[in-house]
Amino acid sequence: MPSVTLLGIVKRYSDVTAANGLNLTVNDGEYLCLLGPTGAGKTTVLRIIAGLTTPDQGRVLFDGRDVTSLDPEERSAVLLSQTYCLFPTMTVADNVLFGPEIREIPEADKEQMLVSLLDMVRLSERANSYPKELSGGMQQRCALARAIATSPDVLLLDEPLRALDARLRIDLRRELKSLARTLGLTVIHVTHDQDEALVMADRIAILRAGKILQVGTPAEVFNEPESPFVANFVGQSNFFTGKLVNSTPTGAEIEDDDGRRVRARATSLPIGSKVVLAVKVGQTHILKREVTPLKGRIERILFEGRVVHVDVDIEGVGRFSSKIPVRRRGRYNVGDEVGIGWNRNKAKIFPYPENGLEDELKVD
Amino acid sequence: MGPGNKLVELISGKRFRKGWTALNIAFFLLFVIIPTVYILSYAITDWSEIQEHVLSDPATMDLIIGSIIVAFEIATIVTIIDFVAGLPLAWMMARKDFRGKQFLDTLIDMPLAVPTAALGFSAAIFWAVTPNPPPFSLATISSPMILIILLHVVFSYPYMVRSLTAILGGIDETYETAGRTLGASRLTAVRTITLPLFRAGLVTGAILCFARSLSETGGTIIALATLYGRRMVEGDFHTGPSLIGFWKDASVSDPTLIPALSFVSILLIILALVLLLVLKIVIMRVRLPLRKVWPSPEKLLSRGLFPKIKDTSAIIFLIVIVLIPSFFIFTYVLTANPVQADWSPFIDALLTSFLVATIVTLIDLVMGIPMALYIVKNKTGRLSQMLDVLVNVPLIVPTAALGFSLGLFWSNFDPNASFPLLLIILAHVAFTYPLVVRNVVGAVEGIDPAFEETARTLGAKPIQSFRRVLFPMIKGSILAGAIMAFTRSLGETGATLAVVANANTAPVYIVELVNEQSYYLAAMACIILIIISYVFMLLLRRFTREEVV
Repeated sequence: MPSVTLLGIVKRYSDVTAANGLNLTVNDGEYLCLLGPTGAGKTTVLRIIAGLTTPDQGRVLFDGRDVTSLDPEERSAVLLSQTYCLFPTMTVADNVLFGPEIREIPEADKEQMLVSLLDMVRLSERANSYPKELSGGMQQRCALARAIATSPDVLLLDEPLRALDARLRIDLRRELKSLARTLGLTVIHVTHDQDEALVMADRIAILRAGKILQVGTPAEVFNEPESPFVANFVGQSNFFTGKLVNSTPTGAEIEDDDGRRVRARATSLPIGSKVVLAVKVGQTHILKREVTPLKGRIERILFEGRVVHVDVDIEGVGRFSSKIPVRRRGRYNVGDEVGIGWNRNKAKIFPYPENGLEDELKVD
Repeated sequence: MGPGNKLVELISGKRFRKGWTALNIAFFLLFVIIPTVYILSYAITDWSEIQEHVLSDPATMDLIIGSIIVAFEIATIVTIIDFVAGLPLAWMMARKDFRGKQFLDTLIDMPLAVPTAALGFSAAIFWAVTPNPPPFSLATISSPMILIILLHVVFSYPYMVRSLTAILGGIDETYETAGRTLGASRLTAVRTITLPLFRAGLVTGAILCFARSLSETGGTIIALATLYGRRMVEGDFHTGPSLIGFWKDASVSDPTLIPALSFVSILLIILALVLLLVLKIVIMRVRLPLRKVWPSPEKLLSRGLFPKIKDTSAIIFLIVIVLIPSFFIFTYVLTANPVQADWSPFIDALLTSFLVATIVTLIDLVMGIPMALYIVKNKTGRLSQMLDVLVNVPLIVPTAALGFSLGLFWSNFDPNASFPLLLIILAHVAFTYPLVVRNVVGAVEGIDPAFEETARTLGAKPIQSFRRVLFPMIKGSILAGAIMAFTRSLGETGATLAVVANANTAPVYIVELVNEQSYYLAAMACIILIIISYVFMLLLRRFTREEVV
């Protein structure tokens, strides 16, 4: 199985730039999730790797070999699209055997392959059904079997779980991952669902406006975001804007215009610069008013099952959200005056974004 | 690796594909477009002739202008009638399920199986006041204009219904449902939500009908000849195309008619092109005042008796105006006195016609499908957009003018018509090719390119992905295009005569019989032609349907 490398990929459509000098390396046998908001250019990246779209600039390498000008069928990179694209005029069996058929694999081998693949995706009973007679989950599995029957080197998944209901989606996440692992495939999985990416990926690449913002393991992108956007896009964050007033090797302090002073992790930014502090919603705690400079009023309490989501409005600063365990639900009511705080090691400081915070966090 | 594989390899090479595309475009330009508009060059090379024989002759000018105005009036009226009467039927076909729907579906296409020459004769003996009206005929129409309108409705109506049905079927019904859950009555929802969405289908339908009416020659001439009960002469009622046909005939003995003939052809081609553009712009751009809503009257019209009246009258229209005139010829033959005759010339003509139609259809398919694919797949390219427009040109050019132009063009290469069959085939390709291209373009546009792309990433070469994935999905439309091309070639009279004056095809033979007032023989010949084309269509349909399932 090859590694896939994208070098300086640029793709412009008449009015949008779908890829803007994009670099990315996917290692051999790696499961990489390409995570980004809608319109970030995720599908374009997949299509360029598959050979369905020709980049305006840049190169695509498979194991260091330049494949930029190869036709899709010469790349052994199978694309599984959002809509599965099962061929409506063929049965499940014919769909699965499409690739082997093209490569003229001997009849007996094909038969065996079909049996084992259908068994794997639990569609043995439906071999002679037409795609329109299958449920969404079955169609997805059939498309997967068809992709694997081609014995691809690279599997490109474009939001493969999008059209499925929530429960099925969670089951299939596990199946898909373990299947890829067993077959040793190099997988590039496009998604806009951060939970999906966090659970499934070996590494996550965050894509925005045609550029890769950060690549790392799920823990890295979650805990060590390199920009406010990533901090917010992967596991929602609260933000506090102010001036860096104190910086030591053990921590830093930020003060806003109203003199509220909060603490964060150590930073190398110069004292006096305008900064923004990000702390994950899950690391933000509701405290007594007396112990923190951030005081506000509970605006909203949402029951989410295992946790309760609380929005607190802090006058002059904005809304902060927090997740509290269900057992503590009864303690708070809408309208209560509370404080907000966090462990300083969980708060990260970024330079204030050039075009303002709102623009930085925008998802489309 | 077998020889088949080597072939696939060969034709999948990038160089081969580029060459093949270039070949297709070259074919289109050389064999379809240039011959079609070749006549325009006459305006440049022989302008002085036109000046002398036409522009300075007020009588000829009056005749030309009058006949062209009549042709446009007829085409406009026919298109409007087709739309008003076709919409309810298209609606039933696209949205409703009822017993006999399959049957109705076949009925709508029936007039297409009838060659226009036969159609013209059949409709004329049904409607027109003739010296000896056959039993059961209505024999009420003595106005040539109304007769021609009725005739043109018969053969353009199926095009309108087909175009509207196709586009209605493609419109997601949920929009309408959403409108109705928001409180709109059915009629209001349809009028304000669905109708604006199907402008594209309306444009296709309107252009097809308008062009068909404006360009039809053979049937028109036969109907008029039947009404008058003799060969047409100078002072008779003429539409633009019938005038071309008439002058073309007469020019054999009187070459001074050639400039007038060219002039009227050029005029018709240019006007038709302008009109095509105008029609497209008007329908696509002009915002009809559709927003306004009249809730109570529309609610009233959405319920109870009104929808039933609408559906019933649509079906009555289909039967009385379209079907009976198409097939009236059968009753005529059953009631008239049999005449003994020698059938061998007709059988010869019939065989020629079938040979021509088969070869023409094959050429259309081989050259037209790749062209259609090219147009759809490079939709954003300037070249393909231009080709997309150009493909329509032969459809809207009157066949008589087209035939005249084709004749002039091909006679440069074969002045003595020593290969008459070849000339006829080349001429027929020019006006049937667009039918295949249009149908395939329409079908491929409706299919998500992701299917083929997926096939490619699964390892299929372009030709394999076409054959295994796309082809089975668009087979129906390819078939529709092939049937239209085949029947169009089988029924064409004007263009055939224009290329080879003594052509020996079945419709030409029938025109001769009508001109000689051998009505019984003409009717028999028509019926044989109808039955054979119909059987042929059924076989073609069955044959392809079996393969799909």
